[in-house]
Amino acid sequence: MTTRQIHSSTAPAGRPDAPPPVPPVAAEQPTPERRRWSGRSRKDFLVFLAMALPNLVLIGTFTYWPLINNIYYSTLDWTLGSASATVVGLQNYITFFTSEDAAKVLGTTAIFTLVTVGGSMVLGLLVALALNSKVRGTTFARSAVFAPYVLSGVGVGLVWLFIFDPGYGVLAWILRGLGQQSPQWINDPQLSLVMVIIVYIWKNLGYCAVVYLAGLQSLPRDVMEAAALDGANSTRRFFNISLPLLSPTTFFLLITTMLSSLQAFDLIRIMTPLGNGTSTLIYEAYLQAFGAYNRAGYSAAISVILFAILLIITVLQLRFVERKVHYS
Amino acid sequence: MRTNLDRRHFLGLAGLGAGAAALAACGGPSTAGTADAVDTATIDFTGVKPAASIDFWTNHPGKSQDVEKAIIEKFHAKFPDIKVNLVTAGANYEEIAQKFQTSQAAKTGLPGLVVLSDVWWFRYFSNGSIIPIDGLVKQLDIKIDDFQKSLVDDYKYDEKQWALPYGRSTPLFYYNKDHFKAAGLPDRAPATWQEFADWAPKLKATSGAQYAYIYPALAGYAGWTLQNNLWGWGGSWSKNWDITCDSKESVAALQWAQDSIYKDAWAGVSSKEAADDFAAGITSSTISSTGSLLGVLKAAKFNVGVGFLPGGPEAPSGVCPTGGAGLGIPSGITKEEQLAAATFLKFMTEPENTAAFSAATGYMPTRLSADMSAVLAATPQIKTAMDQLAATKVQDNARVFLPGADQEMAKAAAKILTQQGDVQATMTELKKTLEGIYTKDVKPKLKA
Repeated sequence: MTTRQIHSSTAPAGRPDAPPPVPPVAAEQPTPERRRWSGRSRKDFLVFLAMALPNLVLIGTFTYWPLINNIYYSTLDWTLGSASATVVGLQNYITFFTSEDAAKVLGTTAIFTLVTVGGSMVLGLLVALALNSKVRGTTFARSAVFAPYVLSGVGVGLVWLFIFDPGYGVLAWILRGLGQQSPQWINDPQLSLVMVIIVYIWKNLGYCAVVYLAGLQSLPRDVMEAAALDGANSTRRFFNISLPLLSPTTFFLLITTMLSSLQAFDLIRIMTPLGNGTSTLIYEAYLQAFGAYNRAGYSAAISVILFAILLIITVLQLRFVERKVHYS
Repeated sequence: MRTNLDRRHFLGLAGLGAGAAALAACGGPSTAGTADAVDTATIDFTGVKPAASIDFWTNHPGKSQDVEKAIIEKFHAKFPDIKVNLVTAGANYEEIAQKFQTSQAAKTGLPGLVVLSDVWWFRYFSNGSIIPIDGLVKQLDIKIDDFQKSLVDDYKYDEKQWALPYGRSTPLFYYNKDHFKAAGLPDRAPATWQEFADWAPKLKATSGAQYAYIYPALAGYAGWTLQNNLWGWGGSWSKNWDITCDSKESVAALQWAQDSIYKDAWAGVSSKEAADDFAAGITSSTISSTGSLLGVLKAAKFNVGVGFLPGGPEAPSGVCPTGGAGLGIPSGITKEEQLAAATFLKFMTEPENTAAFSAATGYMPTRLSADMSAVLAATPQIKTAMDQLAATKVQDNARVFLPGADQEMAKAAAKILTQQGDVQATMTELKKTLEGIYTKDVKPKLKA
C-alpha cells in the first residue's frame, strides 16, 4: 500500500503524458518521506496494539481456544472427571444422529426457538404499538414491560415455579376456585415445555417491545400523514407502510432473538432441571457433560452441532432474509 | 537488522501468545493410555504433616449448615493447626458432583473433603477421583467397627473402603395424625400399600387435603423411593447387573401406582419437594427422606406421625432402601491435605458429632456408640428411622452404579405417573436405555 501511494504522489496515473512507472525496486529505497510516514505508522500501530491487544488476548483465550478445544474433545470418548480418554473420531456425532434422542432434542429445540422468537416478536410489536400511543401512563408501562428482561433468569424461574406449582401455586389456586384441577406443569414433559416457553416469552417480550418502539418512533411522519390524507385507514397504514419500514428492526430482532433462544439456559435449568421435555441442544449438551451422565466428549459433539446450526442460521439470514429488508 | 512488525505479524504473535497462555492454563484428558488409576499401594502417610488449611465441600444435607459450622468450630478448638473452610458447593448432591467433576477436569481447586451421595461415590472411584481410606483409618485409628455396618459397607469395593457414612438416611412414611384421626384410622403407618388403598378414600373424603398420598417429586429421586413399591411387589430396577425393570412384578408395582393416581384418584405427584407439600397440608401422607424430618416437624402446623415404609403383596417388610451421603477424600490433592482431611473426617464422624448432626437434621446416627438419649427425648420420631435401619435393603445396582440411571428412571416414572403412559412399554424402553448405559459406561470398568 505504501509503495503505491508514494508512486501516485510523484506520478499520477491516467495522464497521457505521464512518465513511465518507476520500477518497483526504486520504491524499496528509503526516502525521508517514507521514513516519516513509517514513523507515524508505527506510532499509530502502537496505539492500535494498546487498544486491541487486551481484547484479542481475551477473545483468543476465552472464545477461540475453547472452541478449538471443544472440537477436539468432541472426538474423544471422555468421562468428565476421568484423567484419560480414548480418541473415537466422529463416533460421538454418529451416536447422536443415530440415537432416538436426536430427533427429540432437535424437535424440542426447533419448537422452543420458533415459538419463543415468533411469540416475543409478535407480542413485542403489539405492545410497542400500544406503548407508542399518546395516552397517560405510557412511561410507566414501558418500564414495566422492559423490567423482566433485565431481571435474573434464575429469580424469574423460581418465582414462576411458585406460580405454576400444581399444589400451592397461584395458578392452581385460581383454577381450584373455578372448580378445575391444575395441570401437571412441572412433571408432564409436554406441559413443561409450554411452561418454559410462556416464561421465556414473558421475560423477553420487553426487549422486542422496546426495540420495536424505537423503530416505530423513527418512522417518517410525512409518509404516514400522506397515506392518511389519501384515505388509508390505520390497519392499511400499518401493514402497507409501518411494517415494511420496520423491516430493518424486524431483521435485527430476528437474528438476535433467534441466537438468544437457541442459547437459552437459565430458565430451563431452574424450572426443569431434568430437562424432561425441555431438553434443547444447549441443555442436552449441559446434561450430558455436567448432569448425571458425565459424557464430556459426547456433550462436546452436541455443542459443535449447535455451533454449526447457529452459524448456518446466521449466514442464511444475512444472505437471504436481509434482501427483503428496506433500509430507507 | 530491520524489524518490520506489521499487523499480520502482530496478529500472528497475539494468537500464538493467547494459544500458549490457554495451553498452559488448560488441562484435558490424556489419550496416551489407561486412566490414572489411584495406586493404592503407594499411599503412605508416614512422616506426613497435615496441611494447614483444607476446604470441606458440602450441600448442607438436611439444612445442616449451622450444625456443620458448630462441629468445625469444635474441630478448630481441638486442632488449631488445621483450618477447615466450609464451602457450600451446591444445593444438592448433583450440584456438588458437578462442581467436583469439573474441578477434576480442570485439575485445580479440589477440596480436602467432599460430600458424595450414594449414586456418585462409585463413579468417583471408577474415575480414580477419590482415594481408599484404609491406610488413613489405620493411621488415625478410626473405629470402623463402631460404624453402622450396613452404612459403612455401602462404600466398600474391591476390598477397600472408599468413604465413610455422613448424612445417611432412609425414606420414611410421613402422615398427618389429625387427618388420620378425622378419618377414623389407626395412629400408625399402613403395614402394606393394600391397607393404605383401603384407607385412602376415607382420608380423601374427610381431610380436605388434595391427596391422600403424594408421590415424591420425580425430578428428585424417584428411582430411590420407587424401589419401595417395586420390592413390595417382588420387582426391582435390577438384580445384580441384570436389568429387571420390565419384569411382570415391576410392571405390576408401577401399574398399581399409576392406578392410584388415575383410576382410584387418591394420589398425586409432587412437583418440587414432597416433604414441603406434606408440611403445607396438601396431602395426608407421603414418603420422604429421614433427613427432612426436622424440617417437616418445624414447618407443619399439625401433628406429624412417621412410620416404616409400607410393604407390598409379595414382600410385607424389608422394602426400605438406604440412601444419603458419605464423605470422601480426593486423589488429586497433596498427601498433607489428604491427611488433614482424614483428621477432620474422623472428627466429623465421632459419636458425639454424629449425634449432634442427627439431632439437627433427622439423619441417622452413623456410630453405634452415639448417645442418642437426649436427641430421642427431644425428637422421638428419629427412633423410627433408627429402628427401620434393621429392615433396610441395599439398593439396586442399576440405580446407584449406572451413570444417569436415576434421571432415566425419573423420566420413565414421569411418563407413567403424569402422562398415563403404558407401563410395560415404558419399562421396556427404560430397560434398553439402562442396558446401554451398563454396557458402555460400567461394564468395561468392573473388575473381572
